[in-house]
Amino acid sequence: MIFHEVYSAYYNALAEILSKIIDGETNEKELEKVVWQKAFGESVLSIFPSLKSQKWQLVHSDMSTPLKNKPTMPVTTLQKRWLKAISLDPRIKLFGVQFDWLDDVQPLFCQDDFVVYDKYNDGDPYDDQNYVSNFKKVLSATKSGDYITFEITDKRNKKISVTGKPVDIEYSAKDDKFRVSLQDAGYVRVVNLAKISHCAICKKPKQAAGQPKQRECSEVVLMVSDQRNTLERAMMHFAHFEKYAEMIDDHNCLLKIKYDATDESEMIIRILSFGPMIKVVESDRIKNGIKQKLKKQKKCGLL
Amino acid sequence: MAGYNELIKNFEKIRSYMREFYVYGIKSRSDFNGKSARSYDDERRRLESWLGGHVGFARKNDKKNVFISIDSRVTRHNPLYKAWKAKSFTDVDVTLHFILFDILCDNQKYTLNEITDKIYDYLAGFDDPMSFDESTLRKKLKEYVTMGLVKTQKQGKKVFYSRADDVCLDGCDDLLNFFSEVAPCGVVGSFLLDKTNCQQDCFAFKHHYITSATDSDVIATIFDAIQKQSVVTATSLSNRFLQPRIVTIVPLRVFASVQNGRQHLLAYHVEAGCIRAFRVDNLADLKICDKAQDFDKLISQLDKMQKHMWGVNTKHNGCVRGLQHVDFKIVVDQNEDFIVRRLEREKRVGTVTQIDQNTWQFCADLYDLSEIVPWIRTFICRIKEINFSDEQLQKQFLADLKQIYDEYCGEDDV
Repeated sequence: MIFHEVYSAYYNALAEILSKIIDGETNEKELEKVVWQKAFGESVLSIFPSLKSQKWQLVHSDMSTPLKNKPTMPVTTLQKRWLKAISLDPRIKLFGVQFDWLDDVQPLFCQDDFVVYDKYNDGDPYDDQNYVSNFKKVLSATKSGDYITFEITDKRNKKISVTGKPVDIEYSAKDDKFRVSLQDAGYVRVVNLAKISHCAICKKPKQAAGQPKQRECSEVVLMVSDQRNTLERAMMHFAHFEKYAEMIDDHNCLLKIKYDATDESEMIIRILSFGPMIKVVESDRIKNGIKQKLKKQKKCGLL
Repeated sequence: MAGYNELIKNFEKIRSYMREFYVYGIKSRSDFNGKSARSYDDERRRLESWLGGHVGFARKNDKKNVFISIDSRVTRHNPLYKAWKAKSFTDVDVTLHFILFDILCDNQKYTLNEITDKIYDYLAGFDDPMSFDESTLRKKLKEYVTMGLVKTQKQGKKVFYSRADDVCLDGCDDLLNFFSEVAPCGVVGSFLLDKTNCQQDCFAFKHHYITSATDSDVIATIFDAIQKQSVVTATSLSNRFLQPRIVTIVPLRVFASVQNGRQHLLAYHVEAGCIRAFRVDNLADLKICDKAQDFDKLISQLDKMQKHMWGVNTKHNGCVRGLQHVDFKIVVDQNEDFIVRRLEREKRVGTVTQIDQNTWQFCADLYDLSEIVPWIRTFICRIKEINFSDEQLQKQFLADLKQIYDEYCGEDDV
């Protein structure tokens, strides 16, 4: 169904190569670049020999092609069905695209066929017109490099005005929330999109944004015990991080994880959720965070 | 390494390697039981070729283990999709494909004979023109008609072929960038992105589990079966059973986790006569069979069950004791409203009640209490009371808590 050569990197690379040849490009180095961009590490070793040896009869020995048109392919039924399925997703409103031409298409799946059972309940309000309008402005500014200005309410319930240059929009499936990273005069501020109001594109302020700040990474080293199926659960749970794992003996695995330093509190409770099956080897900051929680727990009882 | 090809014919073969290298990355070549050394080397080389810098190696005790390490918060597109773009093909497949669409580009309709003659005209300029029989072309056209790439029209006894209608994807870059990462079968969105000239991608993803990409074909077949309300046979691999077994199921709903990336199929298991969860990554060789009876009844049965499911376990997933109860109380100090919000937003079922000014209670009746334990542990530092109806679980929870305390704070107490 999904695994078919018409979707393959080789077909995509070939379509681009043939288009370039139709445009008059015959420089092999230039054509090789297409393979590097569109296909895989070793593809160049098979695509050009196959074309040159005329195993694939698409390019003559003089680097001309019998094709008269640049290769294109219609959208498959599978692709239409997938588009129809996402057109039913509440988040589609954020993109302002109408799919009238999919009216007769059966969706690949319906919202009821797929349940995300552990996402949080206070996701962004995709039906709220103000939210949708703000999202579109932020997305537009992120693409164009424009500055935006908006209001947010801080922890003390006080309205503050923010101006900055959006650099990317981050979505968390767990929180079901979008956050915008904003370069704001020398530092990066991350703001929940649902919390902003009165958003508008604005002129570059006098004190313009500096260079984008790199994310600060921290590392935690965990000892994962293979009891109660913990090894598999932990590997899955921490799979989305850059990580390295090594079996220390038959029952224990050392797991090194790199995470965003601003997510330390979240990392602590994620480790705690595994109970005694995961032990922190490093760092002291994480160890101390867990210690504090356990000492506070002792005061509440149960220990 | 004669005979090695970067492309593959069968995805199932690479599926387990990808999972092993990405999720675990702790096995060396000799740990891959049942796989030949040659097969291991070939698959490892393919993954290196597809994923480049994401593949790493570590040496320990003369053993080398391969791992795939991807920070999915940094990569804008799921690198594992590349495996779905590595399908092998024959010389005839690729030649016919490009010539066929060049012929059909004028949106005229042609008979099989007309297309055959035209193809031979295209091939005439080659030193040794490729030959193919009519049945090969007919098969290819039939395949493309099924895929929706080519249309047929019958006039009398003649069948005419033409190119399927094109659709405009202008303005879809942003939604494709987004949904190709977050929607089920997102790899299909990635195929669509390949058709666009999208240069800019503004979206990043946090808590982004990409492993399910390897199960895209299984999920697509499951969706198809749900739409058709069909019975399915599948091979199920489970830790409980050493050998793969064939199961007959009625797929009802896919349950996905955004906290561990795992996907389960909730299905009526015909042999066992009950609704239960099957891990999607353990399912293979799915075949859609006849229409299922009582599909709607099964769906409403699942709807009722969901009110008592914290995760994916139903009363038939090894929990035969029916509903079990849990309640716990936590301390919430002044200015800690966010903790109450946490209870409300993170609870999947159950109720949250304020007991007094500083105490809040959560309670639920569930099929499998063990599924909620990790969540309860995230409230360690404020739990003042906890009650599981399962005595053994109650003891285990408290013993675990003591063990963690002793490990981290034991020395401080001496």
